[in-house]
Amino acid sequence: MKKAICSLLLLMATGASVIGQTGAEALVAESASFLGAFFRNMPDARVAVVRFENESELSDSALQKIYQMLVSRLEGEKSFRVLDLLLNFNGGRGEFNLVQPEALDFLIELKLIQNKSKTGLGLTVFSRLQNRVLTVKYFERNISKGEMDLLNTRSHAFANLGFSLLLEFESRLGLMDIQSIAAVDGQEQYFFFYPDEIIIYNARETRLEKHFQFKLAWTRPVFPVLHPEGKLLLFRLGSDLVLTAGCNFSPTAQMQTFRDGRWQESRKIDFVPFRFVTLNQAPYLVGARYEEGRNFFKGKVYFLPFSAAAASDASAYEKATCPALSLDFSTREGQLQAVHAIDRDYTYRLFTADFEEKKPLSEKKGATLAASNGEWLAISDFSRGSDQLFFYDIRDGGLRPVYTGKVAGEIQFMSAGNWHGVRGFWAGVRQPVDGMERLMVQFWGKRNE
Amino acid sequence: MNKGKGLSRPLLLLAALLAIGLAAPLAPCLQGAIKPYYGGEIVVRLNEPSSFNLNAANYSNLIFYSLIYENFFFLKKNGEITSHVFRDYRYEPTARTLFLTPKENLSFSNGKPLTARNIQASLKVFLGSDLSAASRLRKMIKNVRLDGEDVAVELMADHPDIVAMLTAPELVVLAENEQSFSGPFYPQEWEKGRHLVLRANPYYAGGRTYLDRVRVSFSESPAPDLFLSGPGQFKDSCLEFDSGIYQNIYLCFLQGDIGQNTKVALYSLLKRFNEATGWRYRELNSLTSDDESPIAIRIKTLTPQKTASILKYSEIKLHALSSLSSLEKDLTAFLKESNLRIETLFIDDSQFRASLDSTSIKYALVDKIFQKKTPPEEKISRILKETSFNQFNAKYLRLLSELDEARFSNSQELLTEQIARISEAIVGDGFILPLFQKNYSLYVRRSWPALEIDDYGRPLLQKVGKANE
Repeated sequence: MKKAICSLLLLMATGASVIGQTGAEALVAESASFLGAFFRNMPDARVAVVRFENESELSDSALQKIYQMLVSRLEGEKSFRVLDLLLNFNGGRGEFNLVQPEALDFLIELKLIQNKSKTGLGLTVFSRLQNRVLTVKYFERNISKGEMDLLNTRSHAFANLGFSLLLEFESRLGLMDIQSIAAVDGQEQYFFFYPDEIIIYNARETRLEKHFQFKLAWTRPVFPVLHPEGKLLLFRLGSDLVLTAGCNFSPTAQMQTFRDGRWQESRKIDFVPFRFVTLNQAPYLVGARYEEGRNFFKGKVYFLPFSAAAASDASAYEKATCPALSLDFSTREGQLQAVHAIDRDYTYRLFTADFEEKKPLSEKKGATLAASNGEWLAISDFSRGSDQLFFYDIRDGGLRPVYTGKVAGEIQFMSAGNWHGVRGFWAGVRQPVDGMERLMVQFWGKRNE
Repeated sequence: MNKGKGLSRPLLLLAALLAIGLAAPLAPCLQGAIKPYYGGEIVVRLNEPSSFNLNAANYSNLIFYSLIYENFFFLKKNGEITSHVFRDYRYEPTARTLFLTPKENLSFSNGKPLTARNIQASLKVFLGSDLSAASRLRKMIKNVRLDGEDVAVELMADHPDIVAMLTAPELVVLAENEQSFSGPFYPQEWEKGRHLVLRANPYYAGGRTYLDRVRVSFSESPAPDLFLSGPGQFKDSCLEFDSGIYQNIYLCFLQGDIGQNTKVALYSLLKRFNEATGWRYRELNSLTSDDESPIAIRIKTLTPQKTASILKYSEIKLHALSSLSSLEKDLTAFLKESNLRIETLFIDDSQFRASLDSTSIKYALVDKIFQKKTPPEEKISRILKETSFNQFNAKYLRLLSELDEARFSNSQELLTEQIARISEAIVGDGFILPLFQKNYSLYVRRSWPALEIDDYGRPLLQKVGKANE
């Protein structure tokens, strides 16, 4: 796979040289060349763009591309280190993660200016240690109308290089979630969560073979719903495989343990577990509680101490977030990184591990989201009939839109998962067919990882 | 991670073309959020009910009680039959039995279990009621028993269409406790004469509604979101639904000692009331509907002077069903102005029925709701059964039997003749005179999309939600 990607990149680079540089590329090349020369004799200098303002006709999307082109060129320099702190571009201004300024030696400010028919890029380099501006430089190039249109388009990359649809098949209606875990023999098993049962499949090449299924008995009170929603969680606790299944039609989630070759209901949990995390070296189940019978979570997140040693009647502690139509937790190596939410106004909201709210995408509207570890975040569009997926890179603690993918139908749920070792996202998509409807399951993954 | 450095010009061009090409057909589809919004309140303008006891005697009540009581089955406009209560129902022709399997874990609005036993009891209550749909069903059903988790409805004969018979709007799931409800909403607050607030039933078998509340208003303030009115109005602000329903108003004489002159004078007076209040109702010159009745009933009205001279010395108590309470103010004022000693008393259906055996009610203003597409023979049969009151006798029973025979003869001519014969007998016996008719449209403000109405003209509020664009 890596070889194929390298070949493609090579072809792309060749393509660029054949048709010559665009105005934007030339502007970036000049700026990068200047900065490269400036920092060349400063080994181990830690450099980052901390401000980027736009006074040109270019859109935020174009600004992002220019930024990416510049940073990727600077990353190629061996003599100094470039840190990418960009969170987002919003309203003609870049938003950067500046929580640790002491980790930087040099700060770069960029300003894009429209000067008659030309577009200029101003650079200011500031030394944090010396507390003074070291250099100011201005480059100017002609960026044609056509090129501006091109830069202003929202497409960021090709599907084959980014997230793409790797698998699609039809499922019974009502599917609420999919999770997978490696079985004892190493084979990946896929758990499909329906309101009345869980079906376990084994992956055989490009298809799924039913392995086992068991009914879920929900006890009173049951709150009938128009739209069943639920979350499944799988994890290992010692030699046991533990499964939790929570939904919006029951106030308690079921916990089943696979022990002695069979599934046994072990306890009930009064919230819907999402993740098994470690806090202060102690394991916890973290999740949220649905507003019964409705399609949103109450504005709290619950942490329940959970281990073989923990008492089964241990009570959960809670943290305030916001009522959310969709919610997920990004974790890295078992540690909670952030809580991602789509609130009841369909707006994306982010809470840090300390439950401080950040607004990296203040205007972003969505319907459903899922986080894949601490690396990627997928958000479905605020749309009906025909949908779209947006993928964000969250590895740096920020939120950078990287890929988009069109989806025919309406995304009902999303969850992070993997398919044949490729990490990505499962999406349940409702599609109208001849006056009826069907549910298509899609897996979106990154081929190049 | 893609940093964009590989984005060469031809690839960017291709990407741009793809983006433009895909965006164009998508644009009209992006209409709103996929996830529906839960919350909000809708204001529905209806007549004030007399109690929460089921009484679907008129259109307004038909709507009101459908909000708090759940039907066994729904009959959609397209003829489709659905149920929120049963997860399965099957008719076994060999056993001539219909098996109804309720969904698991259902509850009434107060959280108490809704089981097969409640279904059985509710069906028995319906079968014991004084409704034409119930009487038809009584003739078909031998027994209603519990069969494990199922309710088994045993029939006298093979009736594969039995489920269609169970779509009657009065056949609802009742709780033993009057204060628990099976419908999508339950009553929370009642300010008599002003409004009634219904709250979403969290245990509703069909799945919780998007709306949190329904405010049933008995006045024009606040401006209602959903209301009934004559057809062809409010085009700019509202969506209009043909309810498929009309309301007939009759003048009934419950005692046999009323003179013909008095009957016609009262009839003339009420006709003039309609004229004086701006022709609120259409004239009705038949027992069912003028466009389908084989008999036209023409009663020559008396002049105002003649009417006054006949009624001058009478002391009349005109009882009107509470479903006509919207007329109360105008009718009282009109009668007062006429200087006649006519008192109007508005009473609910149950009080009315309770008084039928006594001689306390002589004059009554009664309304009946009909579905337009109900066959005329069913309508005339209902009028005869439900408005002859204590004057129902062997003659009418014979007429009804003959109507049944004509129905099974498959002769339209015979059927029409029998309908005409019944109409003549009813009018000739002088206990009912048709007065007015009103067609209804159901209006809903455009800010409330997704409203559907069923075959009985009832709005289905389950999937009505605030537009979230």
